[in-house]
Amino acid sequence: MAVASTSNRVVPVAQAAPAILTVDDIAMQFATDEGDITALDDVSFRVMPSEFLAVIGPSGCGKSTLFNIIGGLLSGYRGRVSVGGETISGPHSSIGMVFQEESTFPWRNVIDNVAFPLEIAGMPRRERIARARRFVALVGLDGFEKRYPSELSGGMRQRVSMARTLASEPKILLMDEPFAALDEQTRLLLGDKVLQIQQQLKQTTLLITHNITEAVQLADRILVMTFRPGRVKRIVDIKLPRPRTSEIVSSEAFGRYVAQIWNDLREEASRGLIDDEARALHAGEHKA
Amino acid sequence: MSVAVTARRWLPPTVGLGSFVLVLVAVEILIRIGAINRFIVPLPSDIAKSFARVVIEEDIAHRFLLTAWECLAAGVLLTVVGVAFGVLLHHVRLIRLACETWVAAMASAPLVLAYPLFLVLFGRSALSIIMLAFIAGLAPVILKTVEGLSATRRVLVDVGRSFKLSPAQQFWKILFPSALPTIFVGIRLGLIFALINVVGVEFLINFGGLGQLINELAERYDLPGTYAAICFVILVSVLFFATTERIERWLRSTA
Amino acid sequence: MAEIDRLIGARPARSWLTPVVRLRAAIVLGVLVVWQLLAVSRLFYSDVVPTLNTVAEALAKLLASGDFYWNLWVTIDEIALGLAIGGVCGLIAGLIIGGNKFVAAAFERYLYYLGPTPKIIFFPVMIMWFGTGAGSKIAMGAVSCFFPIALNVAAGMRQIDGVLIKVGRSFRANPWQMATKIYMPALCYPIVNGLRLGLGVALIGTLLAETKLSNRGIGFLVIQAYANFDMPRMYAILIALFVLAIGANALVARAGGLADIKHK
Repeated sequence: MAVASTSNRVVPVAQAAPAILTVDDIAMQFATDEGDITALDDVSFRVMPSEFLAVIGPSGCGKSTLFNIIGGLLSGYRGRVSVGGETISGPHSSIGMVFQEESTFPWRNVIDNVAFPLEIAGMPRRERIARARRFVALVGLDGFEKRYPSELSGGMRQRVSMARTLASEPKILLMDEPFAALDEQTRLLLGDKVLQIQQQLKQTTLLITHNITEAVQLADRILVMTFRPGRVKRIVDIKLPRPRTSEIVSSEAFGRYVAQIWNDLREEASRGLIDDEARALHAGEHKA
Repeated sequence: MSVAVTARRWLPPTVGLGSFVLVLVAVEILIRIGAINRFIVPLPSDIAKSFARVVIEEDIAHRFLLTAWECLAAGVLLTVVGVAFGVLLHHVRLIRLACETWVAAMASAPLVLAYPLFLVLFGRSALSIIMLAFIAGLAPVILKTVEGLSATRRVLVDVGRSFKLSPAQQFWKILFPSALPTIFVGIRLGLIFALINVVGVEFLINFGGLGQLINELAERYDLPGTYAAICFVILVSVLFFATTERIERWLRSTA
Repeated sequence: MAEIDRLIGARPARSWLTPVVRLRAAIVLGVLVVWQLLAVSRLFYSDVVPTLNTVAEALAKLLASGDFYWNLWVTIDEIALGLAIGGVCGLIAGLIIGGNKFVAAAFERYLYYLGPTPKIIFFPVMIMWFGTGAGSKIAMGAVSCFFPIALNVAAGMRQIDGVLIKVGRSFRANPWQMATKIYMPALCYPIVNGLRLGLGVALIGTLLAETKLSNRGIGFLVIQAYANFDMPRMYAILIALFVLAIGANALVARAGGLADIKHK
């Protein structure tokens, strides 16, 4: 299983600014009923300030494990993650997480949801409401401050989650397939929103996704992962112009990037399919 | 709305109500012609007449308040103690593993049968009734509190962790609000158990408000009055049940 | 030795004394100790909290006496008949209501709202209709368990996956086959569940009726002990009663669990 690429390892190059996030030799194993499985093996990369890095891979490549490790929610892995030189050992205040699942607090309205991290930090009410308003407006939900999540659509709720994380003004925004549950059109439009925000705030963003279009639309660089055990297969520089909008998806360059990445992914994705079938077969044999 | 749609919506409830009225009319007729012994089943018209009498002569307002106060006292007790125990069980895994099945057994045990014991311990008083109703309604509150706290969605807990909440903050700002709808279901169940037991024990020990009224009227051989009082208690119970259901649904919609 | 133990897969000697078992034992022990202290402290009027040995004696005497079992049989008899009558009526009512949307819209709300009312208040009426003997107790049990059984069966009928009925129809099953091969298996779980709830309330209804007006049965024994202020005997009867009631509930729950496994 040769990984033919010259750039599957980040070689230290003279940078203008040091990396804001460094992931060094991360490896993780899980014990399951079917034995030990290696989720991640030797994953290393760096994220530069204000950069938008997308991590893409097939289901089963360990993306969510990586997300949880960087976010500090998992332990028991080998290697280290460091933010600005400091090794993390749990959720770090510089890293803000946006989860894939529905994560707004259903008992709080929009403004109280977004003000949550400020409330935790002890900010007085008037100040935090005022600040939260800015982030509500940033994600395009002004006017909805007093509404409750149950009154909003899925896409709007994810925007609330995003605004909540942004309100804590993290150095690094870490997102795990935040738009997975949404339809394609909504995705593209929300992608526009994300681009807008990221460019406005110069927010360093690390996006985990399985959607190639989304990755190419949003990212400066794309990290392609292999199927389990997850390794970095290739890092692709996306040289599409900035500022970008969703109109970019119809350009030729866009299509070429997508094709290139799909080429890499196809092999990994089919490996995943074969593995699924093998498991189902194995489980069936167990029962019989 | 078209006539057909309106008719379809109102026909079933009308038929339901109508059949009851029909049954009452049939019973009235059967008694009058002597097919049913009027000393076993009083005339429905007599029962209707005695409603007013019972309400005025038997000081219904005062009795109702007494029963309501007993229910309220038991309700407050089982809420406070039940939620506290539920939180304890949720937080200390060992206690939960040891005691949860015991609490579940308590929920299905015929606790009210121990009422003579309570009579001995607390005398023939409102306190006996309140204590018994409290104990009888405690289990569902504990169980639902544990259930609600444990069922907090994993992602919400992770959100809390990602914001580095302290354990106390995690509980008050995430676990508890998330569990509130389920906890209210438990409190509602506890209140219903409490009401059933309050009225039941009032009847049995001939002390208190509405339950005692039924007993007294029965011992006086006031047939229409007894039936009327039973109907009144059913009405109160139904109203209580429906109101708590409304409140619970309203709470669930805002949560 | 240890090697051989490992080879034959022997368990370490203390495996049953888990922390859970230890905590439970500690709680039970604690309760008993507090009880005994209260009993000997004379904080309560004599015999309100009798010493543990007095209660144990009374319990032994009770379980050895013939009249306990005779009364127990009376009660079990009444509960069984009440459950049978209420169960059958509840089953039929549930099937009708669950199977017909119009009937359900007309009548189900009455079952639903009448369910959580204290049935014991109907007892005077039951006495008038069925006399002061076993009849009124059986009637109390029947009325008590009718509602949860009917509601559970109705809900069960509605929850039968419509697809399964369509499958039966598409294979042109006749009404008997539909009833036995599709409806009955699907209703197994709700019926057992309803019976479990029904047993609980039938038990309570029958026993409460016995305490109110009877000259036989376990309920009567409890009130008799109370009237004679024979507290140790009353505690003994209550202990025996609760053990039996919880045991019966657990048994039906277990039987229900078996039905559940097939359902899943």
